[in-house]
Amino acid sequence: MNPTLPAIGDVIDGAPFEVSRESIRDFCDGSLDYNPLHWDDEYMKGAFGKTQFNGIIMHGMNNFGIISRMLTDWAYERGATSRRIETRWKAPVYPGDTIVPRGTVRDLTPTRDGVWVSIDVQVTNQNGEAVAVGEALVECLPESTPG
Amino acid sequence: MVEAAEQSFKTDHGFTTDFWATNAARKSWDDIVPGEPRATIPYTLTLEAIQRYCRSVGDLHPLYFDEQYAAASKYGGLIAPPSIHILLMFACTPADDWMRSPGTINAGQSWTYNVPARPGDEIRLEARALDKFIRKGRLFVVHDNVFFNQNSEVICAGRGQTIRPS
Repeated sequence: MNPTLPAIGDVIDGAPFEVSRESIRDFCDGSLDYNPLHWDDEYMKGAFGKTQFNGIIMHGMNNFGIISRMLTDWAYERGATSRRIETRWKAPVYPGDTIVPRGTVRDLTPTRDGVWVSIDVQVTNQNGEAVAVGEALVECLPESTPG
Repeated sequence: MVEAAEQSFKTDHGFTTDFWATNAARKSWDDIVPGEPRATIPYTLTLEAIQRYCRSVGDLHPLYFDEQYAAASKYGGLIAPPSIHILLMFACTPADDWMRSPGTINAGQSWTYNVPARPGDEIRLEARALDKFIRKGRLFVVHDNVFFNQNSEVICAGRGQTIRPS
């Protein structure tokens, strides 16, 4: 088997991300998502969708962005391509939190054109609480296929 | 209102950052018709916008920042990271789009990726609500989105769920 292919159970460690009011504001500018959930303290004293956040929260898609970064850093080194990410948000992330994404290789599936790697992903905060969970697919190119 | 939004989209700095400004014109959950196309506007993706997004998630990979490195890669030049759709979702929709309703909560997303977006691409979005439902008293909408480049190649396709402000 080509050494660029991972093995089931391999763990992918992503870079920790320190969340602050400034990082959230930077993500507003980076994503053009200026929803008041992410910057307006007064507005966040209210309740939303039957949830009370008690303060501004990080964009859910910031989680998505750091998961995506973890996968591309891992895939680019293998000449592979990040093909899919699916996520659900489990808990809000607040200024002062440090979050870190992690992936675990669950399965390898050969297809006509390559090998698709299924990866369980999650983002946890400094308390070990999962704030985002999901799964991803990375496609290894033909030269990475077994045999 | 839409005209003003389109004009402000010509430069990133002119983007309407005040999500309250056009709130009265936005569709509520009751108004959203699954299957009905959303109004979208073309957007020229700049290197500046790509790199600002990358910095906001701490992603400084040379494929997004180092022209020489990127030129020697299989991509043959600078690209955007796959998750650039996070920016494009707002960049390609007018200011009165319901995704900008204050209090919108993102519940989850799934995206698949085809060709990378590149600096200078003329991006086009086809988008619609696909479903709406109520669960545990919360108002949900399912929306799907496909981004194309100027060659009508699919960059990525995605589906998301948001909880709508009531």
